[in-house]
Amino acid sequence: MTSKATAGRSDLAGPAYRFAAEWAPTAARMLLGLVLAWFGYHELVAPRLWTGYVPGAGASSQVAVVMVLVHGWVLLVLAVAIVTGLALRLAAAVAALLVLQIVITLMVTGGLTDLTLRDAGVLGLALCLTGSSRQRAVLTG
Amino acid sequence: MRIAGENIGVRGLTLLAVAGAAGIVLGIHGWSLHHQGVPSGFGRPQVAPSTSAPAPTSSAAAPPAPGPKLSSQAYASYAFRVWPGPVSQAASAAATGLVIKVRRHGSGIMVAASVAGHPPAAPRFYSTGASVYVIEATLGDDSGNTDFDLGDDGLVVTDTQGRIVQ
Repeated sequence: MTSKATAGRSDLAGPAYRFAAEWAPTAARMLLGLVLAWFGYHELVAPRLWTGYVPGAGASSQVAVVMVLVHGWVLLVLAVAIVTGLALRLAAAVAALLVLQIVITLMVTGGLTDLTLRDAGVLGLALCLTGSSRQRAVLTG
Repeated sequence: MRIAGENIGVRGLTLLAVAGAAGIVLGIHGWSLHHQGVPSGFGRPQVAPSTSAPAPTSSAAAPPAPGPKLSSQAYASYAFRVWPGPVSQAASAAATGLVIKVRRHGSGIMVAASVAGHPPAAPRFYSTGASVYVIEATLGDDSGNTDFDLGDDGLVVTDTQGRIVQ
C-alpha cells in the first residue's frame, strides 16, 4: 500500500517536474524581461522621477536626466532581448551587472532595506539566466 | 551574426533595432517633458506650481493669489491629502521622509514642511478651508522611514475651491 502510494505520487510528480524543468526558465525569462521593460519604459517617459537614484549627480541636473534616459534605453533593449531569448545569457549578464549596481547603490545610500532585498532577488533571477541553456518560446532566425 | 558566442539572426537584429528605435522615440518624448513634473519638490529647488501663482517672499506676507485647480494638474493623481484628516495609509506612505506639521492658527492653519533630518522650514499661514497635500509620484521609492528619491515629492496647499495657493 505504501509503495503503491509512493509510486502514485512519483507518477504525478514526474510530469510536474518535467513541466517545471521545461518551462520555469522561460517563465523566469519572461518575468525578468517584464521587470526590465517596466522600469525602462518609465525611465524613458518620466526620467525626472528617477534622477534621485543617479549616484554622483544632483537630482535636478540635466546630466542625471540624460543618465536616466540612457539607463532606460538599455533596460528596454535588454528586456526585448531577454523576453525573446536573443543572446539571452549575454543580455542576462548585462542585466545582472545593472541590477548589481542598483543593489550596491541602494545599500550604500539606504542600508539593508526591503527595496534592496527586493532588487537582490531580481539580481538572483538575472544571474540564474546567465547560465540558462534550455529555453522555450525563443525567437530564432 | 554571433555576439559573445550566441547567434542572432536577421529577425533578431531587426527586432532589437526596432526596440532601440522605440526607446529613442520614448526618450525624446521623456526629454521634452522632463521639465514638467511635480511642484514644490523637496529634492530640488522650490518652484511655484503655476506661472499664474506668484512665489511668496516671506512667511509673514499675505497668501499668494490662487493658481489653477489641483485637480486640473497632471500630478493630481499623485496628490495625497494630509490635512484635514483623516490621513489615509497611502498619504502616510507618501509623506515618508518628510516632516509636515499643520496646526490651527486663528482663522486658518500654519503649515511647516521639511525633509526629515533637515532644519525645519518656517511655517506659513493659510486661511480657513485650506487643504494640504503631499505629492509623491513613486511610492515604490519609499522604504521604512526612508524616501530614496525626494526628487518626485512635493507639497501643495489648496484653498476652499481646490485652487493651488502653494
